[in-house]
Amino acid sequence: MTYYSGTNGPASGGPGGPTVFDPHTLPSDDNVNAYTFCVELKGGQWFLQKGKMISYYGSIEFNGVGNGRFDRLLRTSFHSPLHASDWVVAEGQGKMLLADRAFDVNSYDLDEGNLTIRSGNLLAYQPTLALKQSIVPGFLTLIGTGKFVAASNGPVVFMEPPLRVDPQALVGWADCPSPCHHYDHGYMSGVIGGLRSLTGLGGSSGEEHQFEFVGAGTVLLQSSETLMAEQAVGAVGTGAVGGQNQGVPGAGEGPLGQLGVPRMPGQLGDLQRRLGL
Amino acid sequence: MPFREINSKMVEAQVVPGQRMYSQRGAMLAYRGEVSFTPSLTGGQGGVMGMIGRRVANEQTPLMTVEGSGTVMFGHGGHHIQVINLSGETLYVEADRLLAFDGTLQQGTMFMGSQGGVMGMVRGQVTGQGLFTTTLKGHGSVAVMAHGGVIELPITPQRPVHVDPQAYVAHHGDVRNKLSTALGWRDMVGRGSGEAFQLELSGQGAVYVQASEEKL
Repeated sequence: MTYYSGTNGPASGGPGGPTVFDPHTLPSDDNVNAYTFCVELKGGQWFLQKGKMISYYGSIEFNGVGNGRFDRLLRTSFHSPLHASDWVVAEGQGKMLLADRAFDVNSYDLDEGNLTIRSGNLLAYQPTLALKQSIVPGFLTLIGTGKFVAASNGPVVFMEPPLRVDPQALVGWADCPSPCHHYDHGYMSGVIGGLRSLTGLGGSSGEEHQFEFVGAGTVLLQSSETLMAEQAVGAVGTGAVGGQNQGVPGAGEGPLGQLGVPRMPGQLGDLQRRLGL
Repeated sequence: MPFREINSKMVEAQVVPGQRMYSQRGAMLAYRGEVSFTPSLTGGQGGVMGMIGRRVANEQTPLMTVEGSGTVMFGHGGHHIQVINLSGETLYVEADRLLAFDGTLQQGTMFMGSQGGVMGMVRGQVTGQGLFTTTLKGHGSVAVMAHGGVIELPITPQRPVHVDPQAYVAHHGDVRNKLSTALGWRDMVGRGSGEAFQLELSGQGAVYVQASEEKL
């Protein structure tokens, strides 16, 4: 995985006031400043999370995922029906700028790799990558070769396992096995601790639960615990308690149609069931 | 043990056995090694009397003790972090701005009135800081949170520093502070400059100012 920090981009501002960009001077697939990323489209396509485009030059079309036009594209590089309504496909010629809540924006190159990232932090990716839902709720996995853009509150910090991370500070991880939960209630044991857990006096430290990473790889951290509101995807839904879908994340939560096949927005889907056939 | 700044919003601290550290609850981002986080019932040092003192002064803040051996990363809410190393002097800071500090530092509360008299109390009310503030004294490091970046302004006897009360973060050293008002008839008729109250710090030391007028 190669990482491009926003600070490597061309410096904006300076003694002469802010740098003025035009379609030619805007960088191609690089950071404009720490908070903005510029994607150049030359007839190709990019997947883009809704609402992250702030401006563009040229003729770019934004189409919702699931309109039938992108069937082939979706088959190869989009495998997250639960997030389908959050994504659009940008297509055409020109340069578009991406940003998100004044968060730091960085781009990453994957080379035959895999990286799992918090769903709210991923802004855009090249269709040469395949997007899949991670089995950890709220995370998405990118597999393949290509570039993607992600946001983080403050610069991303890279750490090596073994490491335990506050769930909210975790941006993602690359090339390492999925994390497991680590619970630490040490202070709840003993006489005083028992009294504490019995009465609730003294409160909790807020650090009883972490994600634990072991093995080889890289863990990505952000320096803040404020997050974007996100959907708890991948949780075992109520419909999955019994029957065939037992234990399948997301089962029984809607977007999976009656045949157990993911359904994209805009599709008719359960017509057969609705007609009572 | 000093904090190491990883970036402007994250600090790293070494925890060694036998040395205790205090941090705001929920401010741990990640850690290596065997470290335990215990909510501090009394909210810091000084035992039950210290707790009562802080409750009365409305300077209590949810703290936890960090013990064990390893490395801990701290950060909170995307706020900028300023590390202040103390060598014997006293740091005056609002309790909710404390991210983490060495257990070797002596924690206390101070009455605003004792530093600037009646105007000190007025100042506490005007700035929304209340009548009390937290003090940390001794040798060690403190990580303080601020909204936006922090700059350190030195205070020398010849050069007092004027600070917007909302942008004030903390100060240390032998410093007297007083609230200076520039209230005029313009303020009375609602045409003020918005800078009617200023904090004047004079003496020997330093004041930390944040690049924002937003409170934490």
